[in-house]
Amino acid sequence: MFKLALRSLIDKKLRFALTTLVVVIGVMFVVGSFTLTDSLPEDIAQGADLTVRVDQSLGGDFERATVPEAVADQVAGVEGVDRVQPELAALNVFIVDGNGEPIRPPGPPALGFSFNPGTFFIIEGRQPTAPGEFAADAVTAANNDLRVGETYDINGPLDAEPFELVGLFNFGSPDSHTGLGQTMAAFELEEAQRFLGMEDGYQAVSILVSAGAEVSDVQARLEAELGGNYRVITQEVDAAEQEEDFNQVVDIFNTVLLVFAFIAVFVSAFIINNTFQIIVGQRVREIGLWRAIGATPRQVSRSVITESAIVGALSTVIGIGLGLVLALVLRAILEVIGFPLPPGPLTLRPRTVVLATVVGLGVTMVSSIAPAMKARRISPVAALSHDFQLGATGLRRRLITGGAVFAAGVVALAAGMTAGLDTTPTFALLGVGAVLAFVGMNIVSPVFARPAASALGRPVTALFGVPGRLGRDNASRNPRRTASTAGALLIGLALMGLAAVVGESIKKTFDNIMENAVEADYFIQASATGFGPPPGIPARVADDIEALGEISSVMRIRWAFSGLSVDGEPRDIVAADLALADSHFDSQVSSGDMAAGDPLTSLALHSDSAESLGVGVGDTVEATFPDNQTEVLTVAAIFEDAAIYGNWLIDGALWDRHFNRNDLAFASARIAGLSDAASESEQASLLERSRAAVNDVIDRYPTVKVENQAEFRQTQESQLTAFIRVIQTLIGLSFFIALIGIINTLSLSVYERIHEIGLLRSVGMTRRQLRRSIYWEALIVAVFGGLLGVVVGTVFGVATALALPESFVQAVAVPWLDLVVFVVISAVAGLLAAILPAVRAGRMNILDAIAHE
Amino acid sequence: MTSSPTQALAVAARAVAASKIYGSGDTEVRALDAIDVDFEQGRFTAIMGPSGSGKSTLMHCMAGLDNVTSGQVIIGDTDLTTLSEKDLTLLRRDNVGFVFQAYNLVPTLNAIENITLPMDLAGDKGDRAWIDEVVGATGLADRVKHRPNELSGGQQQRVAVARALASRPQIIFADEPTGNVDSNTAGEILGFMRGAVDEMGQTIVMVTHDPVAASYADRVVFLVDGKIVDELADPTPQTIRDHMTRLGA
Repeated sequence: MFKLALRSLIDKKLRFALTTLVVVIGVMFVVGSFTLTDSLPEDIAQGADLTVRVDQSLGGDFERATVPEAVADQVAGVEGVDRVQPELAALNVFIVDGNGEPIRPPGPPALGFSFNPGTFFIIEGRQPTAPGEFAADAVTAANNDLRVGETYDINGPLDAEPFELVGLFNFGSPDSHTGLGQTMAAFELEEAQRFLGMEDGYQAVSILVSAGAEVSDVQARLEAELGGNYRVITQEVDAAEQEEDFNQVVDIFNTVLLVFAFIAVFVSAFIINNTFQIIVGQRVREIGLWRAIGATPRQVSRSVITESAIVGALSTVIGIGLGLVLALVLRAILEVIGFPLPPGPLTLRPRTVVLATVVGLGVTMVSSIAPAMKARRISPVAALSHDFQLGATGLRRRLITGGAVFAAGVVALAAGMTAGLDTTPTFALLGVGAVLAFVGMNIVSPVFARPAASALGRPVTALFGVPGRLGRDNASRNPRRTASTAGALLIGLALMGLAAVVGESIKKTFDNIMENAVEADYFIQASATGFGPPPGIPARVADDIEALGEISSVMRIRWAFSGLSVDGEPRDIVAADLALADSHFDSQVSSGDMAAGDPLTSLALHSDSAESLGVGVGDTVEATFPDNQTEVLTVAAIFEDAAIYGNWLIDGALWDRHFNRNDLAFASARIAGLSDAASESEQASLLERSRAAVNDVIDRYPTVKVENQAEFRQTQESQLTAFIRVIQTLIGLSFFIALIGIINTLSLSVYERIHEIGLLRSVGMTRRQLRRSIYWEALIVAVFGGLLGVVVGTVFGVATALALPESFVQAVAVPWLDLVVFVVISAVAGLLAAILPAVRAGRMNILDAIAHE
Repeated sequence: MTSSPTQALAVAARAVAASKIYGSGDTEVRALDAIDVDFEQGRFTAIMGPSGSGKSTLMHCMAGLDNVTSGQVIIGDTDLTTLSEKDLTLLRRDNVGFVFQAYNLVPTLNAIENITLPMDLAGDKGDRAWIDEVVGATGLADRVKHRPNELSGGQQQRVAVARALASRPQIIFADEPTGNVDSNTAGEILGFMRGAVDEMGQTIVMVTHDPVAASYADRVVFLVDGKIVDELADPTPQTIRDHMTRLGA
C-alpha cells in the first residue's frame, strides 16, 4: 500500500510539473519579449546640436524631400550657427566584394551616405575627398575582407560604378562601431549627391551651435528663418526618432513573440482548466469526506484555488527566470540572422513582472474557478458512494451557451474583418472574436465529442480488436475531457489551417494574376530579399534594357506606403509609366485610358477608391506629396484589378518630381516583335536572343536578376510558401503545449482507471495490448481535435480570404493536402504524448492496481 | 465426513515448496513458507485463514499474478516460475480464470463483451455454444447487452464468474467473490460457482474468510503464518467454525 501511495504521489508530482510547465511557457514568452525591447539602449544621442529637415508627414525616411543647397547656405548665415554639415543617405547601396558578390545584410539595410566627420570616425586610411572614392564601415570591411586601396563596384540607386576604398570608419564613436548590422558606404559630399541622385540638395543639414549660444535660441531663430516647410530638431529628438525607426524592426519581432505568448497562454488556460476538472473529479470521495467531517463548501473551493495559486506562483517565478534566458537567446538569434542589438544588461521592468504575474498567476487561478465551483457542490454523501459522478453541464445548456459565445465571437470577427485591417481596435476586436469563438467551440464540442470519438473509433475497433475497442471507449467515456484535451490541439490547428487557407488563396490569386493580367515578358528585380526594407534596383538597369533592340518597352515601378495624401488620408501609392501600364499588366480598365492624359497631372484609380471619393474619369483630385507640395490631378482611368497597381497609380515622372528616391522597386520588359512572330521557331529565337541580351545587361549589376513569367511565378510562390511555413511552424509551438495537455490528461485518465487496468492485465491483456489501447485513445482524441481544428481553421480562413482587400486576395482556395497533413501531424502528436502514460501504465504492478480503488 | 479419494483425481494446479518472502534480515516476512499443495481437477477448494495468513498471497502466486521467491508453482504441465512476464500473461488469458471481490468488469464493455474479453484479447472467437451455455447458466441471457452499472452487484459477480468460465480455463481463482454482497446475493453467486464445478467440471479455488461461503467447497485448506496447517473435506459451516476455533484464528 505504501508503494501505491508513493506512486500516486509521483503521479501528482508529474501532473504538477506538467501543469506548471504549461504556464511557464506562456509567462516565458511574455517576459522574454518585453525584456528584449526594454533592454535596448534608451537613446543614442550624439552628433550635431540641431538638424534641419523638410517637415514630412508622408512617405518613408528615404523618400524625404531634399533641403535645397540655397537653404543650407541660409542656415549657415543664421546667428549662433557655428558649422553646417550637409547629410545624405540612401537605401539599397550595395558594395560588391572582391569575389563579385554584393554584400547583403540579411535584415538591416545597405546604405549609402555622404561622409560626415561628425559621426564617422576614420580608423584606417582617410576620408573620401574626390569622385571615385569611398569609405566603408570597419565591421562590414572586416567581415567581407574589403581592403583599403582596392577598387570595388558599388550598386547605387541609379547605377553600378567602381570606387576605390580609401578608408574605414567607425560609426557613432571613435572607439567602436555602433552600427546595427547595416552596411555603410560613404562618399565625398558632391560625389554622394551625384551617385545617390540628389544633386539639387541634401537630405538634412546638421548644425553645430557656436560656443556661448543657447541651442534653443538658435532653434527658434532657425524656425523663424526657414518657415513651416522645415523642421529644426534637437539632438534628443533626432536620437529618439532614430531609436523609434530602429525599434520598429524589433517591434515586429516583439509582436510576433507576444502573439506566441498569447496563443501559449490561451492554450494553457484550456489545459489548466482541464487538469483541475480531473483533479476535482478524482478527489470526489476525498472532498466528500472533508465535507462530512465539517469542511464548508467555501473551504473546499478555496483549497482548489489555493492549489492553482501555488502552480501559478511557481510558474510565474520560473517563467520570469526562463523569460530572461529567452531574451538572451533571442538576442543571439537576432544577431545570427543579421540584426545585432546593442549589447547591454537585461532590463526587467516592474511592468513586465506585473504582466508576468497576471499571465501566470491570473490565468491559472481564473482557469481553476469553474472546477473549484464544481468541487463546492460535492455533497458529503459522495464520500460514501462508489460511483458518485460530478454533475455535468447538460448538453442542451452547453449547446445554447456555447453557441451563443461562439456566435458572439464570429460577430466580433466579422466586425473586425470588415472594419479594415490597420487599426489597433480592429486587432483587439479580432483577438476578442477569436478567443470567444474558441471558448464557444470548447463549450459546445463535448456535445459531439462522444459521437465523433465513437465514429472515429469504429474502424479502429473493427480492425484492431480489444485494444482498439477500449481506446475508443475510453476516448468517448468522458466527452468533456476529450473535448477539452482536443481543444488544446484545436487552437493551434485552427490557426495553422487559417494560415494555410489564406496562403493558398493568396497563391491562387497570384496564379490568376499571372495567367490573366501579366502581359510583360521579363521581370527585373533585386536578386535577394530579406526581412528589411523593400529592396530596389539601380534605375540605370531599366535604361540599359530599354536600349536593347530585342526589347520593345520597359516599365519602371516604384511604390511607397503613405506616399500620397488625399482628403487628409495617407494612401499607398504605385508609380509606373502610365503610357505603358496597360500593356504590361492588364488591370482591367473599366473607364478612361491610362495613357491618355498628361503623365504629370494624371492619376489612375481602383474602382473602390474612385467610388469612396465619388469621382469619375475626368474629375480632379487634390493630392499632397511627401515634399508637402499639392497637385491637382485628373483621373485618367479607373481600373478593377488592384493586384499590381494597388489603388492609386501615378506616373514615374510625377514620382520623380516629388519623391527623393531614385532606385526602382521593380521593372518589367516586353520583347520586341514577339506577338507578331510568325512561327513557333521564330518565337523561340526571339525569346532566346532577348534573354541573352537582357542577361548581358544584368551581369553588370550583381544585385539584380531577371526572370521570365514561369520563373517569376515560381520564385514568388516559393517565397510565399516559405513565409506561410514559417508562420505555421511558429504556431506549431502551441502543439508542444497541447502535447503536454494530452500527456497530462492521459496520465490522469490512466490513473483513474488503475483498477480496471489491473483487471484487464489479470485476465490476460498483455502489456503491449494495454499500451496500444492507450495509443488508440490518444490517437482518437488527437484526430478529433485535429479535425475540429482544421474545420474551424478552414471556415475562418475562407472568411478571412473573403474579407481581405481585393488588392491582396481575390480568390479563395483550400489546400486540402495541407489540411490532411495537419490532421496527421496532430495524430502523431497524440501518439507521442501517449508514450509516457502508456509505458507507465504497462509497468504498473497488477496486484497493486487491482487493490487500488 | 468421509475422506475423498484425492489421489485418484488429476491435479489442475500445484505448489511445491513455494515460499514468498518480503524484505530481508530483521524485517523479513515469510508470507508463504515452503508450501506444498495440490488443487485437483473438477473440485471446488476453499482457502481460509486469518488476516495475514498468506491466503491471498498463495492465490496470487498460484494464479501467476505474483512470483514466488523459491519453490515451484505448476498449472497443468507448466512451471510458472520459468515463464516470462508475457508468457505469464498469456497463460492467465488462456488457462486461468479470475473472480475478484469487486469491480470485476470493465465499465465500458457490456456483459457479453466482458464475458468474452479474454478470448477477444487472444483474438479468437471462442466456443460459441459453450459461451451460450455459460450465459444461460448465469440466468442473465436477456441482460447481456447491459453495461455493468446497469446490473446489480450479484449479477455483476455472476457475469464475472461467467467470464472466468468462458474460455474453459484449467483453473479459476476467486478472491473473496462474495465479500462485497449481502448473504442472499452471496448464495446466488456461490450456487452458480458450485454448479460450474458439478455440471461443467470446472476447477475452482476460492479465498474466503466466510465459513458459509467456504462450505460450498469440496475441501477447505487452512493457512496460518504462511503454512498449511489443516484441511477439511466436505465441510459444513459448523465444521469449519470448529476447525477455526481449534486453530485459534
